[in-house]
Amino acid sequence: MDIAALQIKMRDAFRVEAADLLAELDSSMLELESRPQDPDLLNRVFRAIHTIKGSGATAGFNEMAAFTHHVEELFDEARMGRLTITPEMIDLALKAKDLIGRLLEPDGAATLEPACAQVVEALAKFLPHKVKPSSNGQAKPGDGPSQRQRHKIFFKPHPQVFFSGTDPVNVVDELRALGEAAVTARVDGVPTLESLNPEQCYLAWEVNLLSALPLAKIKEVFLFVEDESEIRIESHLEPASSEAGEAGPLTAFLNIAAQSLEALSGFLPQLRDATEPDLRCCKNYLRILRTFQAAARHQGQEAPATLVEEQIQLLEEAVTSQAALSDEAKCDLAEGYQKLAALIQSVRENNQRGSKLAILPTLPSGAASQPAASAAGGSKPPALRAAASIRVDQEKLDRLMQSAGELLVARNAFPILAKRLALEHGLSAMGKEVKDASNHISHIAEDLQAAVMSIRMMPIRTVFQRFPRMVRDICRAQGKEAELLLEGEDTELDKTVIEQIADPLVHLVRNAADHGIESPEVRVEAGKPRAGKVTLKAYNKENNVVIEILDDGAGMDPARLKAKAVEKGLITPGAAEAMNDRAALELIFLPGLTTAEAVTDISGRGVGMDVVRSNIRQLQGTTTLESRLGSGSRITITLPASLMVSKGILVEANGEAYVFPIASVVQMVRLPRQQLHRHEQAHFATFRNEVYPLLRLADHFAIKAQSGEIAWPEEVAMAIIQTNQGRVGVVVDRFVSDVEVIVKPLGRDFANIAAFQGATIMGDGRVALVINPAGFV
Amino acid sequence: MTKTIMIVDDSATMRQMVRFTLETAGHQVVEATDGVDALAKLNAQKLDLFITDLNMPNLDGIQLTRQLRAAAPYRFTPIVMLTTESQQEKKMEGKAAGATGWIIKPFNMEQLLAVVRRVCP
Repeated sequence: MDIAALQIKMRDAFRVEAADLLAELDSSMLELESRPQDPDLLNRVFRAIHTIKGSGATAGFNEMAAFTHHVEELFDEARMGRLTITPEMIDLALKAKDLIGRLLEPDGAATLEPACAQVVEALAKFLPHKVKPSSNGQAKPGDGPSQRQRHKIFFKPHPQVFFSGTDPVNVVDELRALGEAAVTARVDGVPTLESLNPEQCYLAWEVNLLSALPLAKIKEVFLFVEDESEIRIESHLEPASSEAGEAGPLTAFLNIAAQSLEALSGFLPQLRDATEPDLRCCKNYLRILRTFQAAARHQGQEAPATLVEEQIQLLEEAVTSQAALSDEAKCDLAEGYQKLAALIQSVRENNQRGSKLAILPTLPSGAASQPAASAAGGSKPPALRAAASIRVDQEKLDRLMQSAGELLVARNAFPILAKRLALEHGLSAMGKEVKDASNHISHIAEDLQAAVMSIRMMPIRTVFQRFPRMVRDICRAQGKEAELLLEGEDTELDKTVIEQIADPLVHLVRNAADHGIESPEVRVEAGKPRAGKVTLKAYNKENNVVIEILDDGAGMDPARLKAKAVEKGLITPGAAEAMNDRAALELIFLPGLTTAEAVTDISGRGVGMDVVRSNIRQLQGTTTLESRLGSGSRITITLPASLMVSKGILVEANGEAYVFPIASVVQMVRLPRQQLHRHEQAHFATFRNEVYPLLRLADHFAIKAQSGEIAWPEEVAMAIIQTNQGRVGVVVDRFVSDVEVIVKPLGRDFANIAAFQGATIMGDGRVALVINPAGFV
Repeated sequence: MTKTIMIVDDSATMRQMVRFTLETAGHQVVEATDGVDALAKLNAQKLDLFITDLNMPNLDGIQLTRQLRAAAPYRFTPIVMLTTESQQEKKMEGKAAGATGWIIKPFNMEQLLAVVRRVCP
C-alpha cells in the first residue's frame, strides 16, 4: 500500500471514529450543561475533542484540526478551573461540533470557512486573554550550515537513566552517525565491584565530532535526555582557529586542560597496572603534568597548578629512583587525576554559565498543578464503556448472515428426505438416522444463526442519543421547556433496522416537542408543570422490539383532524360524521394532512406521518397512535428484532403456500362451522366471546372476490392475525408447519405490493409468499 | 531487526496509523485501547517499545508508565509518549514517571520511525 492509499484509509478510519466521538460529545456536552463543574464530564468532553483534533490532524484533516483546537482550548480552560461553562458556551460548542462533522465531508473545509471563523471569533470572547508567546528569537545568525565544525561533546547521563528506558549508548551511537567521531568513555565514576549498583549508570562519554550539520541537529540527539543529564557542547570552526585567537584566555586554558586530561587518562591505567618499573610511562605522565602546570600558571589558574604539584613531585622521585611506583603512590596519582578533572570541570562550568553553547538543565517550570486531570478517568459511566471490538466490512457480515440463514432453510430439506426414505423407499431405519443427523445439524445451524444475529444487533442508544440535543434545540428556539426521558437504550435491534428507524423517530420526536409540548404559559394555565415531558422508550416484547414516543402535551383533537381532512378533500363530510375518535386519529396517517397551525421550520410541512408509517411498514413494523386531547399522545412502533431470518407459519390456501410471520399470529384455531356468521357482505367468526372479521385467504388474493354465501366446511382452520386495523381471522385450507424463512424482496416491479413482505424458498424448493400483516388488509 | 511494539491509544485512527507505519518498517505491533487494556495484554511477553497516548480513559499514559516501570520485565523498556504541543507540563510529568521520550502530534511516518530508531535502534 502506498502513502496515498494509506491517507485515504486513514481518513476513512477517522471518519468512522469521529462519528462515534461526535455522538458522544453531543450527549456529554448536554450533560455538562446541567452539571458544568463535574470534573469527570469536563474530562470526557475534553478528551473527545482532544482525540478528534489529534487523530484528525494525523489523518490529514488539517483545517478541521485547526478549528477544533479553539474548541479544545475552551474546555481545557474549564478543565483547569479557569472558567465555568455556561449554556451559551454549550450552544457555541454544539455548533462547533456540527461544523467539525461537516468539515470531514469532502470539500467541507472550503465551504465552511466563514461559519468556522464566526465560531472561532465567538469562542475567543470566552477565552481569557492570552499573551502571545514571543517567537523566541529563533533566528540564529551563527548557525551557518555546510561548514564543518568540530564539536567537543561531554555527556554524562543521570545515574538513574536506565529507569527512563534510555540506553545512553544509543545516544552516543546516534552522535557517532552524525559525522567523524572519536568517542571516549569516561569510566572514572565507576565504583569498585562491591559498591557497584548494576542498575545505575556511572559512565560518561566524550565525543569529539567533526560534522557539517548545524548545532541544532546535534543538540536534537539529546532531546529526550537533556533535562536530567549533564551535557556540554563546545563548537569550533574547522580548522580550529588556533589556541588563542579570538577565544578568551580561559577558553584557551580549558582547551589545554581538556587535552591534558584526555592524555592523562590514557596513561593512567597503564601506570596503575604496571608491576615492573615503567619509566617511559612515568616520564610521559610527568611531561603532560608539567605542560599543564605551566599553561595554568600562564593563564593565572593557580588552583590547578598547585593541585598537580604533589603529583609532579611524586613522579619526579619515581623517575630519579627508577623504582616501581608504590601502591600508595599509584593511589595518589589516581586520586590526583580525579581531583584535577573535578576542578577543571567546575572552572568550565563557571565559564559556561550563560554561554549559548552550553545546554543547561532546564527545571520543570512549577510542579504541574492539576489534580483534577489525574483524579478523573477512574470512574466512567457504563454508557461510554469502550467495548473491545473490531470493525468489519458490513458486506462481509451480510454475506455471513445470508449463508447462516440459508443453512437454516436448507436443513429443512432433511426431514422431508427422511420421510421420503421411510415412505417411498421403505428405509425407515435409514430415515431415522437421517433425521437424527439433521437434528444435530439443526442445533448447530441455530447456534450459528444466533451468533451471527447477535453480531448485527446494536443497542438503540446510537439512535436515541441524538434526541436530547434535538429536543433541547427545539425548546430553546421556541421558548419552551421540556425534558426528554430515555428508557431502554440498551434494547438491541438489527443494524439495518437501527439505520432505518432513525428518520421516522426523528420525525416523531420532533412532532412531540414541536406540536405536542405547549409553551410554559399555556401549560401552567392548564394546571400542568411548566416543563413538558417527552419520553422515548424501547423494550422487548415477545419476538418484537417496541418503541414508544410519549408526550404530556396538548394531545390531538379528533374533531380538528376530521375538519382538516374534509377541508383537504381527503374524506367526505359524511364519512367524517360517521367516524369515531379512534378512526379520526388514524387520519393523521393520510398523505397530505398536516395539523400544525403554523408550518414551522422544525416540523416541516405535512410530509409527515404517512411517510413515517410507510417507512416503518417497510421494516415490517406497525405504528399505532393514541392521543387524548389535553393530556398527550403516545405513538407505539412495533418492529421485528431481526429482519433476515424470521419464523413463520406455513399455510396452504388454494394449493398455494403462504407464510405468516410468527409475530403477527395471535392464535391458530379450528372452528366449527356454527361459529361463523354473515352480516350483509361481511363474514365474522366468534371465538371466546370475541368477534373477528373473517377473510378467506383463498379469496383474498383472487382477482374476483367471492361474495355472498360461502360453503364453509364442517370445520375451518383460522389464524387470528394482528394487523394495523386490528385483529382479523384468516381462514386457510390447512396449517402446514412452523418454518424458518429468509425473506427475499419481490423485485422492483412488485415492491409496492403492501400485502407481501416478499417471498421465500422452502426446504423442498417451493416458493411461498410471505404475508405482511401491516399491509395485508 | 524486528521489534515488538505496543501502541496504546484510545483513538483507532492513531492506532491504525502507528500500526501501519511500524509494520511497513518490519516491526510487530500489539494494540491496546487504554492503560488498563495495555496492562491486560502484557502477558509478560517481550516488548521492545511502548508508544502510548497520554489522555486516555480508565488509565492514562502517565499512570501506565508508572505501572510499567514497577513491573520487572518492563523496568527498562523504552516508553514513548504521544503528546501535543500544548501538553508541556504533561511531558515533564511523563518524564518523571519514567517515560523515555515523546512524539508530538500530529506526526508523519518518518517522524515516528525516527523516534523509534532513536529509542530502540
